[in-house]
Amino acid sequence: MDSLSYIKLSAIILIFSVLSNGCSSDEDQPELIQEEELITTVKLTFKSSDETQIIQWNAEGTNSESIQLKANSIYDVAVEFLDESDPVDIEDITTEVIEEANDHQVFYEFSGVNVTYETSDTDTLDDNQNPLYINSLWNSGEPGSGKVRVYLIHEPTSKSSNDRNGFGGETDIQVDIPLNIN
Amino acid sequence: MNNKSLNIEVFFTFFIGTIFSIWGQSCDLAIAGNINDLHDGSPVYGALIKIENSDIFTQTDERGRYLLQGVCFGDLLLIVEHPQCNSLKRRIFIEADKVIDFELEHHINELDEIIISDDLLKQINLSANESRLDVNKINRFSSKSLADALNSFTGVSSLKTGNSIAKPMIHGMYGSRIGIIVNGIRLRDQEWGADHAPNIDLNAFENVQLIKGASALKYGGDMVGGVIILSPPKIELKDTLIGKTIVNLNQNGRGAFLSSDLRKTYSNGYYLKAQASGKRYGDIEAPNYILSNTGLKEVNFSFKFGRTRIIKGWEVNYSKFKNETGILRSAHIGNIQDLIRALKSKKPLRIEPFTYNIGSPKQQGIHHNIQFTVFNQFNNQAKWQWDYNYQVNQRKEFDIRRGNRSNKAAIDLKLQSHSLIGSLKWRKDISWNYEFGTNGLIQDNFSNPKTGIKRLIPDYLSYQLGSFFTGSYKPNNSFSWDWGFRVDRVTWDVKKYYNTSDWQTRNYQNVFSDFVVQDYGTQILVNPKLNFINWSAQTGIIYILGNHFRSNFSYILSQRSPNASEMFSDGLHHSLATIEYGNLFLNKEISHKFLMSFSRDRGIFKGSFEPYFSNIKDYIFIAPKSLKQTIRGAFPVWEYDSTNVLLWGIDSSIEIRLMNKMSLELNASYIYAHDKINNKPLISIPPFNTFQKFKYKFKNGFDIELSNRYVLSQNRFPNNNFLINSIQDGEITEDIVDISSPPKGYQYLDFSFSFPFNINEGLNTSIRFMIDNLTNTKYRDYLNRMRYYSDEIGLNAKFQLIMSY
Repeated sequence: MDSLSYIKLSAIILIFSVLSNGCSSDEDQPELIQEEELITTVKLTFKSSDETQIIQWNAEGTNSESIQLKANSIYDVAVEFLDESDPVDIEDITTEVIEEANDHQVFYEFSGVNVTYETSDTDTLDDNQNPLYINSLWNSGEPGSGKVRVYLIHEPTSKSSNDRNGFGGETDIQVDIPLNIN
Repeated sequence: MNNKSLNIEVFFTFFIGTIFSIWGQSCDLAIAGNINDLHDGSPVYGALIKIENSDIFTQTDERGRYLLQGVCFGDLLLIVEHPQCNSLKRRIFIEADKVIDFELEHHINELDEIIISDDLLKQINLSANESRLDVNKINRFSSKSLADALNSFTGVSSLKTGNSIAKPMIHGMYGSRIGIIVNGIRLRDQEWGADHAPNIDLNAFENVQLIKGASALKYGGDMVGGVIILSPPKIELKDTLIGKTIVNLNQNGRGAFLSSDLRKTYSNGYYLKAQASGKRYGDIEAPNYILSNTGLKEVNFSFKFGRTRIIKGWEVNYSKFKNETGILRSAHIGNIQDLIRALKSKKPLRIEPFTYNIGSPKQQGIHHNIQFTVFNQFNNQAKWQWDYNYQVNQRKEFDIRRGNRSNKAAIDLKLQSHSLIGSLKWRKDISWNYEFGTNGLIQDNFSNPKTGIKRLIPDYLSYQLGSFFTGSYKPNNSFSWDWGFRVDRVTWDVKKYYNTSDWQTRNYQNVFSDFVVQDYGTQILVNPKLNFINWSAQTGIIYILGNHFRSNFSYILSQRSPNASEMFSDGLHHSLATIEYGNLFLNKEISHKFLMSFSRDRGIFKGSFEPYFSNIKDYIFIAPKSLKQTIRGAFPVWEYDSTNVLLWGIDSSIEIRLMNKMSLELNASYIYAHDKINNKPLISIPPFNTFQKFKYKFKNGFDIELSNRYVLSQNRFPNNNFLINSIQDGEITEDIVDISSPPKGYQYLDFSFSFPFNINEGLNTSIRFMIDNLTNTKYRDYLNRMRYYSDEIGLNAKFQLIMSY
């Protein structure tokens, strides 16, 4: 019976040492995670010969305004993707997209209005000379109202298509912004 | 509905009853006798007597007596085994009932007392429905997962993510509702994850028991579905060195698997064992295409040493499991529109040339398990045992990320568990047995913040303290009664950051404001401290009628408190484009389950019929709640919730054996599960399925097996479909996202051919050719999360070499 009580005792010591270890290991608070590669804001800048218009759509969806374009006009459109989760340290994700031009694609889809777009001189091209449409030229049609759906596609399976399905890949950004042509 | 189910039962009862009466003419012989010690003639208790190539076995009682029944006319090989003795084999010819006595040579002379041990083939719980995988079946499934190996049992299915991530499902339950017991301790990996397979190498074990219905109260009271018990080989007290090597080559996946173990035992009781295995597969193939990024790498290692003197002993055990599993590349999607595209496509949207490389998305898992065991039978009636166990489970998941972050884990969890079980077995007399014990568990989960992504599961500490008391009464061989109680206290101490908006919209701010530690503006740190007390109980009887007909009835009460995932999960799932939220309001789940089993095993016929019925209050499940507008588009939000569930089912099996050569097995199972509050079917319940196997054994040891699995389409499923708008030709149109409809039913054949050959005395070798999915059938399975994206694995030809030395 001696060895029995010895083993019991050691088992009890063991569990208590484990208990105390377990309890002390997590005293401090877990670190706050600032999400990386988060895109909180899509910013569109429209420039024509006589005006500049900036439209923002952020993650909360609170400040989406409508885009006002003049009929039958040409606009220089730049898109930016920002991480504004930390107001003191706003990150421009667009540079990451441009760096990985082969793995990204910007795509615009219109409904209710007639707008066409093409690449502009200032646009970014990937290794195969495909335009990313970070910078594009928009051609507005007749007056009307509808919306534009802005996409950022990651690792598309094709770099040229007329609809979203043709690009394949994963959608990183998909926002709808009301668009009026006056 | 009630009428209909009654009809089915009546039909089954009638059907099985008819079959019972037809069969059983020539296999009606019995062999009886005594087994005594060679030196002093004392009776040997607990020796196992079995007939080779049959399921007939028995054990000697206290007076060394045995009785084998249902023996067929003809030639047979009797095997007598006992842990302390060299085993004996005797070939006999039997044409009438016969008495045969054996003398065994004991290696331990001081042993003149009754041994209280886990009998060689004892059931963990007498009245439970149990199935078993022996070493031959384990060898056969050596390159597969635990879930695949158990799949041939009626009532068992697998919940899968692709081909290689599979969780066993018993009676429609999986994850935390199933206990996996390894070397007498519950496996503590992150079993709550639906896409997390148990971190187990099947090859380290020699016996796998499956017990349907939660009846192993020693290990916990929360295992509503059932228990899977993995046991290592029994140690024999003799001087030997034995080993086994298995080599597997797979055509599909173009990979190989290798496992080897070596066991050294000494007659003084010391032993050591080492085992290692490795797997490497490339992309697997569906019938018409390659499943890109579905490769697998796995390395396992274990060793143990100890000393057993039958009545007392100790053991140290360590094992390590490490794997890396690729997840179908096409299943990584960004939003719902991507999901619709995948659903509409007949094949995966990305098919690349075959490769062994495993890219993102992928999972990496590491599991360490260290265990110390001591036991001592300190008098003729009582034995105590202590098990201490430390497990570390690390899980990393990698997503496709921007800016070279794909190499950085998106989920990085480390779960450490310490557990201690102390138990006392008391054998009052031949018919009354008791066991009492207590166990403690401490779990520490750490979620690495370096991922740069919000934690899916928060950091937490959880403590569990439980006690159990079980007993059994077996006055004779035809009746037994068993019962047990258990109580557990589970405490959670969690530190979690909530998005402030989520904390408010879920009404947590009003109810759980005491938990708030600090407000960081957009995020809020809270420290939930939760307590649960779970009571569980079980009782059952077995009644054996006329030696061949066995019936058992049991009732099980189990209570399970919500797990970490159900209470706290918080994140985006890339494989279904869903946002998943835990729920702090959840109560413990309370299940009442009734199980019945009727079986008959006589001569050429063996059959069982096992209906069960359960009523679960506050059953925890995940269901879609709303759509959330994000910058990636609209996402469905799935949230854990509870409901009341009615669940019943029937498992049945029939086996017909002819002339010791041929056997035909038929299994079928059906489950009905209904959400009573929302009045709709429960999600992810296995459809009706059947399994048939034909086996033929040739004289020279060759054998052929052909099996067929037939699975119907699940027609009872909840409708979780939703609408989403998309733009087509400048117009906004609405699309239905059909994530609910189960795939069509399917059927496939597996074939195997094996033959032994002996190179020399000490080396037993056998070779097996197997072809899974012989007809290269294209199908999708309702219980596979990848069913939205791809077909299941196609034809797979395998070669296996097993060497025992």
